Amino acid sequence: MTTNTYIAGTGWLYRFDPRAKLLLMLLMCVWFFLPVSLLHLSIVVGLVILSGSTNAGWHHAWRTFVSISPMLLFMVLFMPFNVRDGSPLLSIGGFTVITAEGLEQALRLMSRFIGITYVCTLLFATTVMHEVMLALRWYHLPYKASLVVTLAFTYIPFIADGFSQISESHRLREAEDEKKKKFGQRLKDLVPTLTSALVVALRSIPNLAMSLEMRGFGREERRTSYHSLDAYHHVCIHFILSCTIPVVFWFANIFF
Amino acid sequence: MQGNRNALKVAMVSVLTAVVVVFTMVVRIPTAKGYLNLCDVAICFIAFTFGPWSAFIAAGLGTALADLISGYAQWAPISFVVHGVEGLLVALIVQKKGDAAVSLGRKALAAFVCIATVSLGYFALSALFISTVSVAAAEIPGNIAQSAVGFALGLAVSAAVKRAYPPVSSLAW
Repeated sequence: MTTNTYIAGTGWLYRFDPRAKLLLMLLMCVWFFLPVSLLHLSIVVGLVILSGSTNAGWHHAWRTFVSISPMLLFMVLFMPFNVRDGSPLLSIGGFTVITAEGLEQALRLMSRFIGITYVCTLLFATTVMHEVMLALRWYHLPYKASLVVTLAFTYIPFIADGFSQISESHRLREAEDEKKKKFGQRLKDLVPTLTSALVVALRSIPNLAMSLEMRGFGREERRTSYHSLDAYHHVCIHFILSCTIPVVFWFANIFF
Repeated sequence: MQGNRNALKVAMVSVLTAVVVVFTMVVRIPTAKGYLNLCDVAICFIAFTFGPWSAFIAAGLGTALADLISGYAQWAPISFVVHGVEGLLVALIVQKKGDAAVSLGRKALAAFVCIATVSLGYFALSALFISTVSVAAAEIPGNIAQSAVGFALGLAVSAAVKRAYPPVSSLAW
């Protein structure tokens, strides 16, 4: 199982300080909910996709779009039922299928959804996970919380591998073809696999606790860290940019 | 002594969070707004076995991390709230004093609360922040099915794990 969301690159988003990038992500997510015109919303979404594509690559941009395409399809399909009032654009036998207001609302929702998706995925595609954790620690995330996330990421591949091996061995023992089984029987057969996988995972808890104690967890001394965010320069400028970008987008909506 | 207990708590929550992530990502059925999965099995198992706080943290964090890894980062805050609350409520309802068995009535109430929290939580939060009421409503049947199956399997798995690995009962907090 791959838990790495980072895509190696050298674009400006990679050189942007992770703390400022986190702030920019939050501000942009809020910006998408502001009362702006549809044209401005679309332009900003286009700029986000463009900067994402130039930094993380067109393949990443396409893959992200494919992952949200079923949701976008649903938005289009439900468009006739959302807004019934307003000037009709398409009518079939006296039944108004789409109104101008309904179309605008659907496009607005789709643009907002695409924008939020790209902003969130770009943060994790252009920032290494331990730098995200360091940025969160800088924002006063408790040490224990960041340790839990880091340890969870370490254990995910181990538990996933265990689960795959256990489910394979259970499948080999069964004589009956999986496809011929009824849904209820399939669920029932899942219980031994899940139980074995959980027992294997739970057995690692005492060992992990002991390792933490041996490495000094719970002592009063100040903690050291292998990684730091010192490699990022012009942090102050990055923070100013993070605050300025959404404000500029907002004023562009008012004046143009 | 307190340090030892804290290390055990951190180790337990970390492994349980990883379990929720694996159960969320192993079986996936694509739907309009993402995918259906086995996360509720892991959440109900944790709620039945480890208590409210472990269930809240592991369920919320595990599902949010799974969303981040899978490329559905926009759903991570919603998943954190909905599944965290789901784990907390189910664990509070089935929490028992001493060795007394959980009554059938409480299990039924926990099942109802589990299904209602997931389906209504996702409906309300996604209608409010991400999509429209009609699109969010289209996902309710899928969420009901996922949480109902998750609760039933979680209950069965919890009993089986307690029989297969008895020390698990001493880990609850």
